[in-house]
Amino acid sequence: MRRLPVADPGLPDARSATRFLSWLVRRSRMTIVIGIVLSVAWMACQSLVPAMVGRAIDAAAEERGGALLGWGLVLLVAGVVQALTGISRHRFSIYNWLGASFRTVQVTVRQANLLGSSLPRRLETGEVVAIGTADVTHIGGAVDVASRGTGAVLAVSIVTLLLLHTSVPLGLVVLIGVPALMAVVGGLIRPLHRRQQAYREQQGRLTGQAADLVTGLRVLRGVGGEAVMVARYRARSQALRAAGVRTATVESLLEAAQVLLPGTFLVLVTWLGARFAADGRITVGQLVSFYAYAAFLVAPLRQLTESIDKVTRGHVSARRVVKLLGLSRGTPPQSPAERPSGDLTDPDSGVRVVPGLLTAIVTEDPADTARIAERLGGYAAGAELGGIPLGCLPPAGLREHILVAENDARLFSGRLRADLDPDRGGRLDEALEAAAAQDIVDGLPDGLDSVVAERGRSFSGGQQQRLRLVRALVADPEILILVEPTNAVDAHTEARIAERLRAVRSGRTTVVCTSSPLVLGHTDRVLYLERGRVAAAGTHHELLDSEPRYARVVLREEQP
Amino acid sequence: MTHALPVAGRSQAWRYARSLFRTHPGMFRATIGLHLLAALAGLAGPWLLGDLVQAVQRSAQVAELNRLATALAGFVLLQAVLIRFAYLASARLGEQVLAELREEFIARVLTLPLGTVESAGTGDLLTRTTRDVDALSRCVRLAVPETLIALLTGGLVVVALVAVSPILAAPLLIGVPITVAGTRWYVRRAPAGYLRQNAAYSEVTDGLAETVEGARTVEALGRQGQRIARTDRDLGRSWRAERYTLFLRTIWWPVIEVSYVLPMVLTLLAGGWLYLRHAVSLGQLTAAVVYVQQLIHPLDRLLSWLDELQVGAASLARLLGVADAPEPSRPAAPLPVGTRIEVRGVRFGYLEGREVLHGVDLTLRPGERLAVVGPSGAGKSTLGRLLAGIHRPTEGSVTVGGVPLGALAPDRLRAEVALVSQEHHVFIGTLRENVAMARPAAPEPDVRTALAAVNALEWSDALPAGLDTPVGDGGHPLTAAQAQQVALARLILADPHTLVLDEATALLDPRAARDLERSLAAVVHGRTVVAIAHRLFSAHDADRVAVVEDGRITELGSHDELVAANGSYAALWRSWQGEAPEKPPDMARARPREDAPF
Repeated sequence: MRRLPVADPGLPDARSATRFLSWLVRRSRMTIVIGIVLSVAWMACQSLVPAMVGRAIDAAAEERGGALLGWGLVLLVAGVVQALTGISRHRFSIYNWLGASFRTVQVTVRQANLLGSSLPRRLETGEVVAIGTADVTHIGGAVDVASRGTGAVLAVSIVTLLLLHTSVPLGLVVLIGVPALMAVVGGLIRPLHRRQQAYREQQGRLTGQAADLVTGLRVLRGVGGEAVMVARYRARSQALRAAGVRTATVESLLEAAQVLLPGTFLVLVTWLGARFAADGRITVGQLVSFYAYAAFLVAPLRQLTESIDKVTRGHVSARRVVKLLGLSRGTPPQSPAERPSGDLTDPDSGVRVVPGLLTAIVTEDPADTARIAERLGGYAAGAELGGIPLGCLPPAGLREHILVAENDARLFSGRLRADLDPDRGGRLDEALEAAAAQDIVDGLPDGLDSVVAERGRSFSGGQQQRLRLVRALVADPEILILVEPTNAVDAHTEARIAERLRAVRSGRTTVVCTSSPLVLGHTDRVLYLERGRVAAAGTHHELLDSEPRYARVVLREEQP
Repeated sequence: MTHALPVAGRSQAWRYARSLFRTHPGMFRATIGLHLLAALAGLAGPWLLGDLVQAVQRSAQVAELNRLATALAGFVLLQAVLIRFAYLASARLGEQVLAELREEFIARVLTLPLGTVESAGTGDLLTRTTRDVDALSRCVRLAVPETLIALLTGGLVVVALVAVSPILAAPLLIGVPITVAGTRWYVRRAPAGYLRQNAAYSEVTDGLAETVEGARTVEALGRQGQRIARTDRDLGRSWRAERYTLFLRTIWWPVIEVSYVLPMVLTLLAGGWLYLRHAVSLGQLTAAVVYVQQLIHPLDRLLSWLDELQVGAASLARLLGVADAPEPSRPAAPLPVGTRIEVRGVRFGYLEGREVLHGVDLTLRPGERLAVVGPSGAGKSTLGRLLAGIHRPTEGSVTVGGVPLGALAPDRLRAEVALVSQEHHVFIGTLRENVAMARPAAPEPDVRTALAAVNALEWSDALPAGLDTPVGDGGHPLTAAQAQQVALARLILADPHTLVLDEATALLDPRAARDLERSLAAVVHGRTVVAIAHRLFSAHDADRVAVVEDGRITELGSHDELVAANGSYAALWRSWQGEAPEKPPDMARARPREDAPF
């Protein structure tokens, strides 16, 4: 077994779910074939055990001591071989399962990277996350049962031949009876699965409510209301208990059916076998092995039903993966070889960003800020760089050239340094200083090597904001667009950031969308927008003096 | 850094188990009795099969074969009926015990001192509330009954085997040391191995979710290579964890299987030899071999649930442990006289030896509006939490009407003073439930008045089901500003005489914050307000301003007084007003944060 994951997952066949699954199977065909061989050997050993016991008892009944000893030893060997093939089969089974799951994760991540900012628009996040949580497991399971299912088919065939060889009528009873039984039990199981699913969902909601209470504990403490919350939780918990008992009522019927149906069938086989034996048509030993075979067949048949179920689930999951893999972001219509330079402009609003300056954009309506940032970053059509529409530039180069740093940018889990400064370009200290974030790092147990929780949740809102700013400053793009970079930090820190921002970005182009006078006072040029159009431009102080509406927006109406 | 929540010891778990038995004796007896009877009925099969073989061998009449077959059928039916009721009884018991356990746990969690929760970290408590409760319910629903049945069935099979022939039962003994040694080896390593395996797997799925949800950020910062490397590293870790548990099974499984087949072969050989010596009958031999085979199934079940049982026991210990967390003593306190809140010589630190407040004195004048300003980490929020009675001072006192806040019962305390922080939380439930949290019996008009006072009634009525719209996680999404308005409406209903607002409007777009300020005005009307200010304009409107620096109040007075005094507040105010400061404000050099990060 080679180590997983493979370095290169290869190019998936994403034309259909079936093709994707068979691509996965082909990718690990060697280990799947070995899995099949081991599966058959394992099942064969299992299926031969009853025959061996029967032969041994026959030998005893006929008072042949040597034969008894011989069969006993054969049984021991079969047992040991079964143990060894069993575990080897399991090892290959896990390997195939993980191989397919890992490969699916790898191609999903690569595809998500390829789609980039167009991904959220194309697919619901929940759908893609389902690939990570459930689908990967189902796909692995489907590839794995490819070998186990084949083994089960072969085992059933061997037993069939043995039974028919011993007694045709009795063999037929077993061969028709066992699948019929499986079908009946299977029919009972399906409605139960639905009920169990509903129970699990209800349980999930209760757990969600408990987690909600813990998450909101500090708020709850601030205003009171603990007693109400406990009462509500108790009511839901009791509802879950009642649902659990209701589910158990059906489950208990199924448990009873699983004893009753095979039990009745076994009695039938034994009774028929006993009469045949009494007539001398079969031996006593054969009677015992018939009993054992009828009991044995349940296992491979169950495995077969499980295989069908798993392949179905795997197929459904593969459909979702294929849907993601089938998306393409489309190539830009025209990609000039050279990167254009010049002013970044947005004709719709009249915004013109002069290279090398720190420009501020102040809008009367907050929603306009986001729209303009989208356009200036090339996420929405409209803006131009040196007269060339941003949509015509190659996406990777465009993002490297223009970075939009916004407050819902994701902080990634892992070591803080890896997120802030992945390339170790030597700008980190300067950026930490400029974003007034050194104290955050100093407060961490392991400094920059501390592990950041998912979404940076272990940091307060203001700390997260400063870390995002650090990350953007380290990236050091030619044009940096900062959207409300300091609205969650206190006034003192904001003042410090504002003072240092210009120095750290000197020689490069920076746009800051804000309405904070502390920041605006440190910018080169301010564009004031009303109804989505530039209404005034100048320095902060010039605009304060000349534009009363501007003054009202940035100094708040309560101010004189 | 943190003080983990306690975990229950062995004796506490046993005490709990015994108390369970004492509270539900009838349910326990019914469950065990029914399972025992069902297992007994199941044993008749091989026994009658042995009789059937005997009958065939001595060429008995067909009538006798029929009689035996009918008896066999009867026992199958009986077993099926007994299993049904046994299963139901154990499910009833299990659900009952689980419900009691989780309800007690949640009730305990909600009364834990907030200091305890915060020093342990919310993460630990959240894990216990979600993962441990789920693990335990899986254990109680599946592992416990399966183990019980396996134990009862296995025990009875052994008894039956001995009844058939004590000599033929002897070969079983050879399997015992192998099984015990192999299982001990496995069980010692398995739980940690599987925990690691699950943790590694969640890292893979979390990493994938992060890549997908953060696709825009990945693209913006050009982090594609980093994400791929991270995924492959996570997968590699998952592979190593899987390999380890696979290794454990590679040793354990064959050992166990050999320990099953060895007694079977020995029973067959020894039985055959004894039969040839006429010491046992062919029927006895057949029944013994079938019984030994039958033992495999319960044994296998028992062993396969062992690690699950261990996980369940560990979860139980963590859940019971929370009940062990120290509860603050609340001596019966006299009722407060008046509404004046006084802070006298207060010192406080979250951790021993790291003091955040170094001696604070402050008297709130009833009805005044006090703004608290100062750099991050100076202790503003900590002071606010002490004023709201969430923490108790290490030294000195915080009193309301002459009574220490810590001595008041929680519901009484909230009638005096409430805290609104920048952390707002919309609970899962309807909008009405969210607003009426502190006063669940509040009539409809009161709820509507409260919403109207904070300008939230208009959008509330526009929700799909009005006040009955489900909100919170999974419900109708509310914007941050709406969530904060809900928090304010809660306060109007709770109606405390003093409010502590800790940067209540931070994290909002400044223009939305301005609307919220208007909602806030309705809430603070007629109350004493301590506003921990984030933006200076709110300080300007306050009756008094307190400047907190380095855990002390360094300036206290009205806005005009402080501006005239030309201290650090004045410097900051000028820079806010757009005038170039003559010199950089002193307090801009904030010290590193020493308080906890919230």
